[in-house]
Amino acid sequence: MGKESLSEKLRHFAKAFGEIIYGATVYDWVRELDKERGKLQSLFILIVFGDFLGVPIIPPYYQLRLLPHIVPYLGTWKRSMLREPDITEIFDEDMG
Amino acid sequence: MNSVLVLIVAAVVILLGYGLYAKSIDKKVIKPDPNKATPAKMYMDGVDFIPAGRNVLFGYQFKSIAALGPIVGPIVAVQWGWLPALLWILVGVAFIGWVQDYTSIMMGVRHEGMTMGGLSYKLISPRSRTILLLFIYLYLWLIMGAFGKIVGYDLMTKPIVPFGILSVIVMGLLMGYFTYKLRQDIIWTTIVAVVLSLFGIWLGAQPFMSNIFKSINGNPNTIVFGQVTWAKFLWSLVVMVICYLGAVLPIWEWAQPINYVSFWIVALGMLAGVLGILVWHPGMGDFPAFTQFTVPGLGPLWPVLFVTIACGAISGWHSLVSTSGTARQLEKETDALPVGGGAMFMEASLATIALLTATAAFGSYKGYHAVYAKGKAAVFAVGLANFMNHIGIPKNFGVAYGAVFLTIMALTIMYLVVRFMRVASAELVGDSIPVMRNVHVGTIVALLLSLLIIWTGVWQRVWVLFGGANQLMASLALLLITVWLMEEGKNAAWAFWPFVFMYITTIGALAYTGVKVFMELSKAPVGNFIAGAIAFLLIIAALVLGYDAMGAVNKARKKAHASE
Repeated sequence: MGKESLSEKLRHFAKAFGEIIYGATVYDWVRELDKERGKLQSLFILIVFGDFLGVPIIPPYYQLRLLPHIVPYLGTWKRSMLREPDITEIFDEDMG
Repeated sequence: MNSVLVLIVAAVVILLGYGLYAKSIDKKVIKPDPNKATPAKMYMDGVDFIPAGRNVLFGYQFKSIAALGPIVGPIVAVQWGWLPALLWILVGVAFIGWVQDYTSIMMGVRHEGMTMGGLSYKLISPRSRTILLLFIYLYLWLIMGAFGKIVGYDLMTKPIVPFGILSVIVMGLLMGYFTYKLRQDIIWTTIVAVVLSLFGIWLGAQPFMSNIFKSINGNPNTIVFGQVTWAKFLWSLVVMVICYLGAVLPIWEWAQPINYVSFWIVALGMLAGVLGILVWHPGMGDFPAFTQFTVPGLGPLWPVLFVTIACGAISGWHSLVSTSGTARQLEKETDALPVGGGAMFMEASLATIALLTATAAFGSYKGYHAVYAKGKAAVFAVGLANFMNHIGIPKNFGVAYGAVFLTIMALTIMYLVVRFMRVASAELVGDSIPVMRNVHVGTIVALLLSLLIIWTGVWQRVWVLFGGANQLMASLALLLITVWLMEEGKNAAWAFWPFVFMYITTIGALAYTGVKVFMELSKAPVGNFIAGAIAFLLIIAALVLGYDAMGAVNKARKKAHASE
């Protein structure tokens, strides 16, 4: 307990600096890949569980087999699919 | 005035602005709750809402907002003298710039990640969303004109620049291939790409290489049409081809890897420049603190200075980035101030350094003007080279480096702007003109519109209009913030008065420039006519917005009273 030592402070500073550089450089790539992964996942859930949104897709047997894997994402997926996007959302890309 | 003293003054103002004023507003008015779930954590859909740490987001925000604006703006604005330009950067960021960036993030966070379009619709009026889209489209078009002229006319026509740019682009593409497809270690690929890019810049500055491009440029007096020389015609087309590829290819194939390598070129340049200032610590010599109130070709200090320097003091573009990007990634509400406010103050530092490249780097007013006559971009390139020379970097290389630095900063934005123009035009007219939904058609139309301004516009007027469109978006953002705060029953004066100032000043600048370009129609008939039309369109849209603003403010006031 007590105040941080100089070496600890330097370590924290180095970590923060590294994160800032990461944010300014590679983070966009990672985010873009995450988005692609997210879109594919959304598409997969739509194909398998489309009837949650009123779109009948595949027989309930296969749905039930896959249901445990999808349950953690169902809430956010439904919101994401039903949300009406605005054109100003396109400015969520690297402009700098 | 010594350059190190300017840096110290800037640092003190920034520390006071952030540490006292910004933190006070954050603590007493906005009151962010670190335990409250942000949209990024609540929704976390992996597509639009992805939480990120504070430091990572700071790097992302700074890189997203810092572009050519904080560099070119001060270089042009010092024609009024270094003091008004410096005062606007420091006072603007301390009282207006950070307010917009930070509060836009918080507004987005507290409205479930809604972006500027949705917020305008909800808080002001449905019509204000349409006005925002108009501001955005005209702003994008003017960016292409302003940046395109700098790159296509000033920079790429210099024989020492094209090979360096080509090197950076090729290295970026190779780096992307090695990292994505061949899964090579990113640290090694980064080092190799950056080193080879630097080698390419050096090679481009060598006489044998620059002579090749000199011969491509041909006789500088060869006119293709109007005032467009062969070199300007050729290189503006090359720039459009680069923008076309950046706009239609998948972002990970072109834009991202090139932007990544470009970041390192820019970061190294900034570091070398700052080290050069600290080692050399030059004074400004006879560079006047104040020259004259009305600068020929630009206009009166008020209102034109305040749109000439946009990014670095206050920029409406940041509110779009803050709401559509940052607000949807914020992990905790308490991160908003260091991310939004911090990045804006950091950009003001960049603008201050740019101001010093135009003043202290030359140490004389005459020196600045002699280089400015060759192009405003040349001022930065030569100024940066002067700083870098004092840490042992040869001047010839430094000038090429500075020119490539600016060119790559402009290009990396331009092809994304074209992408946005294409998407915006598809959204706006795609229903009535279905062909505009085609990727290639939309992109080519955007590029042709850009060439129209590049080939016919008068740069200084285009720059002021670009600043005007940008600052009108800032006014809209500050208005949204004011209405939101009023509806919440909070003190809104710290956002309201900046809105009033920006609104009146920007309309003044647009009106002055609009009248001037129509009076100077004979100098550039097509370009000045388009510029004048844009100016008055923006003014009309701004007046309609002002009318809707009064209604929104009254409604917010009544809502706040009703809930008391």
